[in-house]
Amino acid sequence: MTPRILPGFRLTLGYTVLYLSLIVLIPLSTIILKTATLSWSQFLSVVASPRALAAYRLSLGASLAAALINVVFGTVVAWTLARYDFPGRRLMDGLVDLPFALPTAVAGIAMTTLYAPNGWLGRYAAFLGIKVAYTSLGIVVVLAFIGLPFVVRTLQPVLQNLDAAMEEAAAALGADRWQTVRRVILPELSPALLTGFALAFARALGEYGSVIFIAGNLPMKTEITPLLIMIKLEQFDYAGATAIALVFLVVSFGLLLGINLLQRRVGIGRLEEGLN
Amino acid sequence: MSAERLPLTEPPFVRRLLIGVTLAYLGLFLLVPLAAVFAKALERGLALYWASVTDPAAVAAIRLTLVTAAIAVPLNTIFGLAAAWAIAKFDFRGKQILLTLIDLPFSVSPVISGMIFVLLFGAQGLLGPWLAAHDVHILFAVPGIILATLFVTVPFVARELIPVMEAQGSEDEEAALTLGAGGWQMFRRVTLPNVTWGLLYGVILCTARATGEFGAVSVVSGHIRGRTNTVPLHVEILYNEYQFSAAFAVASLLCLLALVTLAAKSVAERKRTLAVEPRSAP
Amino acid sequence: MSIEIRQITKTFDQFSALTDVSFTVPQGELTALLGPSGSGKTTLLRIIAGLEVPDAGAVLFDGQEATMRSASERKVGFVFQHYALFRHMTVFENVAFGLRVKPKPARPSEAAIAAKVHELLGLVQLDRMAERLPSQLSGGQRQRVALARALAVQPKILLLDEPFGALDAKVRQELRRWLRRLHDEIGITSVFVTHDQEEALEVADRVVVLNEGRVEQVGTPGEVYEHPASPFVYKFLGNVNLFHGRVEGNKVHLGEFTLDLPAGTPAPAVPPVAYARPHLLDIDHQPTTRPQFRATIQRINTAGSVVKVEVVGPSGAVVHVELSQERYRALALRKGAEVYVSIKDLATFTAQNMLGGGI
Repeated sequence: MTPRILPGFRLTLGYTVLYLSLIVLIPLSTIILKTATLSWSQFLSVVASPRALAAYRLSLGASLAAALINVVFGTVVAWTLARYDFPGRRLMDGLVDLPFALPTAVAGIAMTTLYAPNGWLGRYAAFLGIKVAYTSLGIVVVLAFIGLPFVVRTLQPVLQNLDAAMEEAAAALGADRWQTVRRVILPELSPALLTGFALAFARALGEYGSVIFIAGNLPMKTEITPLLIMIKLEQFDYAGATAIALVFLVVSFGLLLGINLLQRRVGIGRLEEGLN
Repeated sequence: MSAERLPLTEPPFVRRLLIGVTLAYLGLFLLVPLAAVFAKALERGLALYWASVTDPAAVAAIRLTLVTAAIAVPLNTIFGLAAAWAIAKFDFRGKQILLTLIDLPFSVSPVISGMIFVLLFGAQGLLGPWLAAHDVHILFAVPGIILATLFVTVPFVARELIPVMEAQGSEDEEAALTLGAGGWQMFRRVTLPNVTWGLLYGVILCTARATGEFGAVSVVSGHIRGRTNTVPLHVEILYNEYQFSAAFAVASLLCLLALVTLAAKSVAERKRTLAVEPRSAP
Repeated sequence: MSIEIRQITKTFDQFSALTDVSFTVPQGELTALLGPSGSGKTTLLRIIAGLEVPDAGAVLFDGQEATMRSASERKVGFVFQHYALFRHMTVFENVAFGLRVKPKPARPSEAAIAAKVHELLGLVQLDRMAERLPSQLSGGQRQRVALARALAVQPKILLLDEPFGALDAKVRQELRRWLRRLHDEIGITSVFVTHDQEEALEVADRVVVLNEGRVEQVGTPGEVYEHPASPFVYKFLGNVNLFHGRVEGNKVHLGEFTLDLPAGTPAPAVPPVAYARPHLLDIDHQPTTRPQFRATIQRINTAGSVVKVEVVGPSGAVVHVELSQERYRALALRKGAEVYVSIKDLATFTAQNMLGGGI
């Protein structure tokens, strides 16, 4: 076995594996162990119960909507921050990470107060007959807040590293600005956009702290999957909670795998991910 | 023939529109909620604000949050350094698996992150009977909170260090070795100074998450006022008791911490980019 | 300290970087490892330094096995291609590094370290830059700091990896001469890696020519240039004209030349190939008695110490000829002129042409 030149390989690898096993792997394995105690029909009855299905629909739907909103507006924000100068640009750029730095509970209560019928923003919505807080619309709004940095921070480095020569070449060949943007720049951005979308979507799926304040949490109506898990835990239905958690994890891991494959194919360096 | 300007940027009205939309969107989503927190916190006057923040339960919560962070962050920093060293400087089979494992806590919902510790240490859990027999309390006590926070913040430092170390390569360390430096000397004098800003960046992110974690801690904590509440949990309790001003007052502390985090983060980020500059001669 | 390389073999995954490489570096000499990219020269240098471990073979210092010794034990000074200066340390601290990390008993006092550092900075003519950071220095200055740093721990061997590769041509030339003078002053056994044959021939006492992981030739610069051991060496060192040939009776046609075969020479198994350096050919306005052919001048380049003339022969093949400035002026050549191209020194030509045809 070739000795390695730099020292410390066995020490650091050993410690890393040990630490990960203790803190991450062993606790996570309890999910498999616990679910194994359920019979197949028991498992299905929990995982496919109407309440669970409603929770999946809500979680998936709201997360998808929020991620799409973030793709649209995130692109605008990333573009503007990367290419234009305006008063307050540096401040705004720094603030984009706020949803990432702010504890979810604080975000939750702030958004709820804002969008409640008598809140600063909620009152205007009420004027238009729209109820935001305690509805699924409120959930989408909060999830959009949470996911805001993901698309922006994934796009920004790509935008900054774009070769200006490409745009100049397109313009010199006679393309007007919109054509250049549409045919030359946006295709370069689409891998990063896809990654940002997937990251925002994955984050929104698992979000708990900020959503439970605004959601209203009515079973079958405004109950997200993590809340359903929490409720089962409080009722000491550990097996049920675990079963739903397993389904949830399978979906999340599938997403993670997809993101990693995408990143590898497109060659986006990890340093350029910005966040996550 | 007149020199025509190439259309290298958007027409002014498009630019103004985009800037306007950006400012409006960011203002709506970022500035307004921030302002709301502080406005609500001070709604009932400074005296009540101060009382909420110095209330014994609040102070206990602050202390618990700080203790948790003080334990979780250094432990995960050491882990991050070790993992980044092994991954960035050596080639071995299973590296990708290791990377995925490190990323795992990111993809697990906070509630599930707490749940697994309940499954492990709870009364009905794997180790439950053993713990009860020895009168050791993990759940609904401080150790459980620390473990859950540890789990959730495992990836942060490692994920920031790995790309930095990979980009810097091993030449500096090799140079130190040829000059006769021992392993620890090389690490202390050459490696650490080179990754300082990347490390700080990771530590900042790790601390922010450790102090703000809600879902996972909520599951394992038991919400025992004055004993097992962190600051985010305390905020939740106050809010659910309709003590809105008090809730926002305590929440404003977290907001301030978040703003400090953001500022520190920008500084560290800028310096980190400088430290990874490619090494060509001028 | 002398170095002996014995049958070193190194493979990376499927790629053979070095195969059965053996040679010696005598004490006190400046040796160049010369070869194109992928020839394995940097790998070999790193193996000598202890930064790579060979799959087979041995490295001996003064006859003693060093193959298994770690890099820090070998007392080797290594100068990296991109200098690897510690960017957060000043020039002074960089050079002092090796002295400061010595184990306590062996460590000199700070005053002694400072004296040594300043002595070395004086040697590399950077004494006034002691407090600067590497980012504030030019490439050539960084290179000299890297050298001073490597010399600070008084190594027995100095290894340099493409030391001037990242610098401008002019700086490269100056530093190359400066390195030679430094070596003459200090007398330390040195090995440097380069792909620039001009550099190797100008600076080194001895050249090891490598190609695709194997040693092609070891010798002094004169030896490898004038008596190349293989077509590769011939082509790699200096410019060359290539002549494909065929044998007809007792004559051999090489390109446009026709030469007599000595009686009794067996017909070669493969069509002969000849190489001729441009300065071995001559140009005349009138026919000569030497093997020659008629050609038209296509291009003349007078910039430089020799005049480079491109001629086109009857078959359309381009041949490069180098003339001294005096010869060129004496001939008063013009573009488009019809001239005779001949072999100046038949003995040298045939002596250098045992390749391929065995003439």
